[in-house]
Amino acid sequence: MPKINLTRRQFLKASGASLFLAGLPLPGFTKDKPPGTISVILLEGGMDGLTAVPPFGDPNLSKMRRGLTPDNFLKLNSFFGLHPSFQYFSGLMAKNNASVVHATNFPYNKRSHFEGQNLMEGGGLTPFSETTGWLGRALDLAKTPGRSMSLDMPLILRGASENDNFFPASIRKSGSLNTDLINMISMAHDQEGSKIFNKVSKKSTQKDSVVPRDPASLAKYAGKAMANDGGPLSSVIKVDQFDTHASQGADEFGRHGERMKVIDDIMAGYKEGLGDAWDRSIILTLTEFGRTVKENGTWGTDHGWGSAGLLAGGAIKKSRVISQWPGLAERDLFEKRDLMSTIDYRSVCAACVENALGLDHDLIAEKVFFTPGLPRVYDYIFS
Amino acid sequence: MNEQFRVAQKLGLMFLPDSPIPEDYKSWAVSQLHAKSPALGIKTARAYPKPKVKEWPKELQPDLLTRDNMYHTYKDNRERQRQKLQGHNTQADIEKNERDNLIKDIDQLKFAHRNSYGQDQLRLRFTTFWANHFRTANIHDNSNHIGHLIEEGILGNLNGDFANLLYKATSHPAMLVYLDNHISSGPNSGHAIDMKRNGRQAGLNDNLGRELLELHTVSPSANYTEADIKGAAKVLAGWGAEPGRVLDNPGTLADTHKEVMKMGGTLNSWDYFKQRYAEPGSKTVMGKVISGGKGGLRQLTDFLASHEHTINYISFKLAQHFVSDNPSQSDLKHIKNVWKTSGGDLDQIHTAVIERAVASKEPKFQWPMNWLFQVIRLSGAQGFKGWQEEKDDIYNDEIMSVRNIFFELGQGFWLPGQPNGYSSDKNEWLSGEMFERRIRFASALYKGGFPTQSTEDIMNRIGANDATKNLVASVKGTKNKFVALMCSPEIMGLENA
Repeated sequence: MPKINLTRRQFLKASGASLFLAGLPLPGFTKDKPPGTISVILLEGGMDGLTAVPPFGDPNLSKMRRGLTPDNFLKLNSFFGLHPSFQYFSGLMAKNNASVVHATNFPYNKRSHFEGQNLMEGGGLTPFSETTGWLGRALDLAKTPGRSMSLDMPLILRGASENDNFFPASIRKSGSLNTDLINMISMAHDQEGSKIFNKVSKKSTQKDSVVPRDPASLAKYAGKAMANDGGPLSSVIKVDQFDTHASQGADEFGRHGERMKVIDDIMAGYKEGLGDAWDRSIILTLTEFGRTVKENGTWGTDHGWGSAGLLAGGAIKKSRVISQWPGLAERDLFEKRDLMSTIDYRSVCAACVENALGLDHDLIAEKVFFTPGLPRVYDYIFS
Repeated sequence: MNEQFRVAQKLGLMFLPDSPIPEDYKSWAVSQLHAKSPALGIKTARAYPKPKVKEWPKELQPDLLTRDNMYHTYKDNRERQRQKLQGHNTQADIEKNERDNLIKDIDQLKFAHRNSYGQDQLRLRFTTFWANHFRTANIHDNSNHIGHLIEEGILGNLNGDFANLLYKATSHPAMLVYLDNHISSGPNSGHAIDMKRNGRQAGLNDNLGRELLELHTVSPSANYTEADIKGAAKVLAGWGAEPGRVLDNPGTLADTHKEVMKMGGTLNSWDYFKQRYAEPGSKTVMGKVISGGKGGLRQLTDFLASHEHTINYISFKLAQHFVSDNPSQSDLKHIKNVWKTSGGDLDQIHTAVIERAVASKEPKFQWPMNWLFQVIRLSGAQGFKGWQEEKDDIYNDEIMSVRNIFFELGQGFWLPGQPNGYSSDKNEWLSGEMFERRIRFASALYKGGFPTQSTEDIMNRIGANDATKNLVASVKGTKNKFVALMCSPEIMGLENA
C-alpha cells in the first residue's frame, strides 16, 4: 500500500506539481478572526466521487465505467466536471464560494460501511476506538455548542455536553410539552438521563414553530439557528442510501443522482438559512468511502476508498478543485480496484475546524485527530 | 420492581393486565422459548366497548407465493400506470394498487399487534433480536417480504440451531433483494458470458457476500480478505428471484410463472437458485473450500455458523441486548461455552442468555420500540389501529398509522436503513429528541389509547421502587403521573438518580 500520510513538505511539493490545484500560497491565517460556523453533511453508504465529480479528462474514466458517467455533466475545468444533480452547488462554485477536494478520504481502506462510518465520525485511529466524535471534541476545545438535525445523536458530535439534536416530532394526541413535568422526570434520573431530559425541558420553554422535516428545510432551520447570536456554531445533517451496488444510474434521475440532488438542496437550504452568517460559514461533506472505479456486474459499484469532498460557504474565497490526481489506470488504483486517496481528508476537516472555530492546527491534529503530524492544508482551501 | 417484572422487562415485554404472574419466573422464562401464541390483535381500536383481542384473519397473512404474486400484480399495474392506461393512472388507482398489493403496512401492524398482545413475550423479544441481526430494511422491492422473513424465517426457526437460522435468513428473498444478490451473477456464469457477448454488462456484486461475513457471522475481527468476500459473493451468485418479475409486456401470472420456472426450476422464492447465474466450480472462503452448485451456500453458512469469531461476536450482541449494557466477561464466557457445547442450539443459547439476564442485577436500557410495547402492555392501552382500519386506511382521530408510529419512534424494521441494524448500546439512544419522543408517546397513549390500568395499580403490580413512587407523587394530574411513571428510570431501564 502506498503511503498516504504525506508530510507537509511532501504535500506542498506534490500539490505544486498538480495540474488541478488552482492558485497556491497564500496570505496567513490571523488569530483574531472571529469564529465562523462549521456544518457537516454525512453521506452514508459511500458516495461515488467519480460520479459526483467526474474526471472526464482521464481517458480511463469511460473505459472503466461506461454506464455511470452523466453525459450532461457541468464543466469545472479542463479535467473535472460536476454531476448535473449539483446545479446549486455549481452556482456556488461560479461565485467562488465552493470547492471540491478529489481523490481523498480518511486513511481507512478496508471497505466496511460500519468501520468506515465510525472512523469518519469518530476520527479515531482504529475502528470503534473512540466514544466521542471529532467535531464534538473540536467543539469541546472551542467551548461551543453544536446541533444535529436528526432524531439520533450521531457519533461525530458526541463529546460536548452542550450539544443537542433537533428533529421535530409529529405525534397525534401528544399535546404540548409540560416543563414542570419534564423537570421532575429529569430530577429522578441519574446524571446522563437527567442531562438529556434537561435539554427536552429547555426546548419545551421555547415557542413552537412548525419546521418541515425534509433535509433542505432542516438545513435552512440549522442555518437560521447558527446565524443567531449565541446559536450553535456547528450542525450535522445525514443523508443515506448512497450504497448503490445495483442500477446506480448516471444522470440526475438515477439512484445516485437523486441522492446527490439531496446534497444540493441541503447546500441551498443552508445558504438561505444562514443569511449574512454565510460569509463566516463552511459546510463540508463526509462519506465513509468512495466506490469501485469499475462498474460491477449489476450496473452499480461496490465499496471502494477514495472519493470526493464538497465544500461550500462564504469562508471560501476562491473556488478550486483540490487534488493530486492519482489516475484511473489499473496500476494507479488501490489494490487494482479503488480510486487512491492522495489527500488525507482529516486534514480537510482540520482546516475547516481551524477556520470556523479558530483553533490552532497543531492542537486539532493532536487533540481532535490524535495525529500530531497531520498535514495542514488550510491554505489550499481558504486562501 | 419485583423480580417477575424485572425479568419480563429485560427479556420480555411485560405481563398483560389480565395475565397471571408466575411464581417461578426462571422456569417460566425458559418455558417461554416454546410458548405458542397465534398472531393476536384487534380489528378496530376504540374507547368503548373495549375491542376483543382475537387471532389475525388468515387472509391478511398470505403465504410466500401469494406475496410474490401480489408484488407481480403491483409491478404490472405500475407498468400500466407508466403507459397511462385507463383504470391505472389516477391518484386513486395508484393508492388502490398499493393498498391491494403491498403488504408492508399490514405486516408491520401484525408485528406491532403481536408485541402488544402476544402470550409469547420472550419468543417475540428473541425474534426482534434476530430480526435486527438479520436486518432487511425497506427498499420497496422487498416490501412484501420483510414481514415473511421475520415471521417465517426467524420466529419459525427460533427453536432450531443457529446454522439453520443463518441459512434460512441468508436465502430469504427479503435478504437477497435487500442486498442486491438476486441480480448478481458469477463472472464465468452462462448468463454473464452471454451478456458480455452481446456487449452488455453482467457479473458479481459483493453486497451480501460482504455483509454475510461482516454483520451476520464472523465480523471484521476475523480478518478476512477481499478475496474471501469475493469467494462468498461467488457462492451466493445465482440465489434469488427478481421480485414481481415483469416480462417485457405486462402479462398474466401464468406467463410469469412459466418464465420463473425456467429460471429457477421452482416457484418457491425462498429456495430459488438460478444455475445460469451461478459461478461454476468450487470457491474458497477463509480457507474453506466450498463446492459449486446450489448446495454450496449451505456449506458456507454451516462453516461460518460454527466459526469461533461468529460465536464470540454474536454472544456479545446477545449479552449486550439482554443482560447488561456492559456485559461481564463471565456472562460472555458462559454464553460462548453453551454455544460451543450445544453445537449452536438456539434453545440452549437463549436459555444461557436468560440465566445470565436473570442473575445480573444491572439495569438494561430498553429500545424505543420495546419500551413502547411494554408501556402498552403495562397499561392496557391501545397503541395501534385495528387491522381493519389499517387495511381500509381509515382515519383514526386517536391513533396514527403504524408506519408513522415507527417513524416517529425512530426505530422500525420496515423503515429504510442500513443492514447493521440498531445498536443495543444505550449511548446510541441518548438524545434530547429521542427522550422527547418517550414523553410524547406516553402522553399520546394516555390520551388516545384509553389505558385500562391506573398509574397507582401499575406501580403496585410491578412493585415500583421508592424513587419511582416519589417521582409520580411529585407531579400533579393523572396524565402527568402516567407520563412520569413511563419515563421513570425504572421503566426506561436506566439507573435511578
